[in-house]
Amino acid sequence: MTSTSKDFLNEFHWLMDVLHNIDVGLVVLDLNLHIKLWNGFMQNHSAKTSADVLDECIFDVFPELPEAWFRRKLQSVTVLHNASFTTWEQRPYLFRFKNYRPVTGAAEHMYQNCTMLPLTDARGQVNHVCLIVYDVTEVAINRLQLQKANAQLHHISRTDGLTGLLNRKTWEQSLRHEFKRFQRYHHACSLIMFDIDHFKNINDSFGHTAGDEVIRRTAATLLEGLRDSDVAGRYGGEEFAVILVDTDATGARVVAERLRTRIEAASVPFEQHVINFTISLGIAELSPKITDSTMWIDTADRGLYNAKRSGRNQSSVYHL
Amino acid sequence: MSATVTLSEDYRDCLQEVTNVAMGQAADRLARLLDTFVVLSIPHIEILSPADIAMALHSLDGSTSVSGVCQGFIGGGIAGEAILLFNDTSFTDLARLLNYDDELDQQAERELLMDTTNVLFGACLRGIAEQIDMTFSFGPPMVLGQHQRLDELFNPKTATWQQALVTEINYKLEGYNVNCDLLLILTEDSIDLLCKKLDYLLT
Repeated sequence: MTSTSKDFLNEFHWLMDVLHNIDVGLVVLDLNLHIKLWNGFMQNHSAKTSADVLDECIFDVFPELPEAWFRRKLQSVTVLHNASFTTWEQRPYLFRFKNYRPVTGAAEHMYQNCTMLPLTDARGQVNHVCLIVYDVTEVAINRLQLQKANAQLHHISRTDGLTGLLNRKTWEQSLRHEFKRFQRYHHACSLIMFDIDHFKNINDSFGHTAGDEVIRRTAATLLEGLRDSDVAGRYGGEEFAVILVDTDATGARVVAERLRTRIEAASVPFEQHVINFTISLGIAELSPKITDSTMWIDTADRGLYNAKRSGRNQSSVYHL
Repeated sequence: MSATVTLSEDYRDCLQEVTNVAMGQAADRLARLLDTFVVLSIPHIEILSPADIAMALHSLDGSTSVSGVCQGFIGGGIAGEAILLFNDTSFTDLARLLNYDDELDQQAERELLMDTTNVLFGACLRGIAEQIDMTFSFGPPMVLGQHQRLDELFNPKTATWQQALVTEINYKLEGYNVNCDLLLILTEDSIDLLCKKLDYLLT
């Protein structure tokens, strides 16, 4: 052998070593989609050796590959002579490889990004396609965890911890939103503000834990009786507020009375005691006389004040 | 960098011509792949500041009718990003175009956007690269605004560059409700090198 051909063989040898040991998957397919190269990464993760898969059609070896999709992708590679990509966010994986790390592998399968490259021959014609498979499990898991954490934070920042109702800030946003909607479309819309009668007495006689339980029960009873479109929030300590969309004062009164009687009938068992309690409610339907959302609250508050003054455990509509 | 980059008429004309030729080739390839005629506008070439680009991207935030996909490319000292803005494009038409038979959920829509982008970019950039005798490597396309609002992702005030060379091309596909703008944004550092490459064509 001449020294140049020996050099070439040597070079070929270490080049193959690189292809074989690189930590990404390499697959070369001919235009009939028969496998022509299957590197170490692919062998190790698929448990199929080169001998098992070489010259086999890729769909015979991996029946789970979406054939129509895959052929379409490859067509754009061969016609346009242009790389094509797929990321884990579109398709979590191309080849289903089970997660191989029993302790620190948090995913069920390997997430993959994949690039498809056209390979040209000496005459510049594409007659092979190279698939490069990247293991992006860690990135994917981090991204998914981040999304989950963000969703949780979003939820926490909007709700009240004790009751699960909207917190005051978020509820007031909805109130302003509904107010604007009314100004534009003049759909009927009502507001109920209510609080627990003699709540201080409950706290004083049974303690704050009992008070919390009463608040929680009130919120739960409130939520049971609402429609999906209604917006309920915890306004203050023992004060609650509900926006009733597409509801006039008469309808709101029905909702209010139903809630009042349910609360009256409910009792909260606490240690050896049974706590019974009532609520008073004020109702205000939006009208053109109400010029901003604060005024809407004030109007409902006046109804609440009237309900308290007339002896509590009742609801009162306030008309401006 | 402080000096304002300008592009002489000669270079601009030349680049426009190169882009035109590339687009012609791209349209031909696309017609073969997609089996439809591609209507292309004349490329519009301009040096833009980060604020200009931010404005163009602004329409993406909070809009359901505009989507955008970007893809980075680099090769031989010329680098940049291509951004494709889909205006009021119908996903059903895109699916029809790419022979996509699966059900169209959000994931599939994203995939359609990315595939269309990849096809349009690849066809156009390849044509440009061939004429100036270069090859580019491409990163995977990314749907803009999917994870982060764009005003958070790209803030023109903190951008580390002052100018970029932007080529804008409008695509329409005959018989489909698909209308998109392709922005080819070359980095400040690439402009010099690109001009050197264009010199070969000009002499």
